[in-house]
Amino acid sequence: MFKKLIDNSAAKSPWLFHINAGSCNGCDIELVAVLTPRYDAERLGFKLAGTPRHADIVVVSGPITAQSKDRVVRTIEQVPDPKVVVTLGSCPRSCNVFKGSYSVVGPLDKYVDIDVSIAGCAPKPEAIIDGLALATQILKEKRGAKE
Amino acid sequence: MEILIKAVYILIFPGLLFATVFGLWLAGIDRKLLARMQKRVGPPVLQPTYDFFKLLGKETIIPANAAKVTFLAAPYVGLISLVVTALFIPIGGLQAFGGMADTVVILYLMAIPSLAIIFGGSASGSPFAGVGVSRSMVSIMSYELPLILVLLAVGRAAAYGGYTTFSLEQITVIQQLTGPFLLDWRLIPAAVAMLLVIPCEVGAHPFDVGEAETEICEGPLVEYSGAPLAVFKLSHCIKMFIMTALFTALFLGGVTTGMLWLDVIIALVFCTIVTVVSMTLTHAVMARFRVEQLFKFFWTVVSGLALVSLILVWYV
Repeated sequence: MFKKLIDNSAAKSPWLFHINAGSCNGCDIELVAVLTPRYDAERLGFKLAGTPRHADIVVVSGPITAQSKDRVVRTIEQVPDPKVVVTLGSCPRSCNVFKGSYSVVGPLDKYVDIDVSIAGCAPKPEAIIDGLALATQILKEKRGAKE
Repeated sequence: MEILIKAVYILIFPGLLFATVFGLWLAGIDRKLLARMQKRVGPPVLQPTYDFFKLLGKETIIPANAAKVTFLAAPYVGLISLVVTALFIPIGGLQAFGGMADTVVILYLMAIPSLAIIFGGSASGSPFAGVGVSRSMVSIMSYELPLILVLLAVGRAAAYGGYTTFSLEQITVIQQLTGPFLLDWRLIPAAVAMLLVIPCEVGAHPFDVGEAETEICEGPLVEYSGAPLAVFKLSHCIKMFIMTALFTALFLGGVTTGMLWLDVIIALVFCTIVTVVSMTLTHAVMARFRVEQLFKFFWTVVSGLALVSLILVWYV
């Protein structure tokens, strides 16, 4: 009865869960900037969730250190379907300047499927909003495909 | 016919459907105005509705070490008792079920949703939920005392023939004769106390120790996902409606134009205003209380205000 309403709502209420997998904190600060009054991502329904169980979009930043790998994979598994994985910055895709380090086991696509990648070191808040808006569209498609 | 009217009361107005729609609207107004106060654009007013329907479409995960039946039943028990509470509160003089002791019934029924959150949280088996549950218990103990004192003070002010009343219908009738109790100087401290009790009962920001999002990840709700979480979020919105409607009935009742539908609309406008004053403003200007601060604040300042009113009403 409410199928259409639920499908439409899927794109309008994306809750974010942010995982720091050994990031230098640059991307993390930019992600927080997106939620501040200047950019106000809440006008598009974005909200930072405290737990992976409430999340729709998982944002991963950092080059996936050996210590964080298992935790990242496990946390992403805990997110209920439909979910979208977004990488923030260059690190999760290429390990960036940390490539070759003994403690870095990235990139992330060795372990989980990635839906959206936001490029930059660190990406601008505008780029992050653009990437997250794309993620909401993928969220809606996944919701439609599930039925 | 009698049964049909009762069914309309329970399912449509002022029961399930109306409480849902109006609760979601109040929550939307709250979020929008909060954003405007923080110089943000803010989410659309329909945002809580989108959140609710999105959560309905999500997968429900049951943790391996959860008590399954309690975990899944708790949100629905809470929702049902809230809908029942809505039937006992007069909205613009329209009360679905009334009796001798409405306020006592409401006091008991309003305890059930908070207990449902506690049971659900305990059943989820998460340490975050454990912390949240113990904090929720403290917050229940904090607001119950001032709430009872406020109800007693208002009941005494509406006394007829020397007997303190527990009937919301009589409170409304007396207010029709004397004017709203908010304009009675003896009851102003009680009204302020009630405005502070509302956000604590609802679990809104400065008093949301049990569900502190930034500290303990929404406490008892931490393991919930999908439809049960949606029902908990909806219960939160309906609680906003019920508590503001209770304030309207206690302090702003008896505003009557002679037409029932107009009275109802006026009462709903009052509900919206009370939401903004008691929840949005406090959320925008205050940081969260710590647990022991909350307990101290409610048992000294808020209970004190309510007690002052009670004494004034009794002896002046």
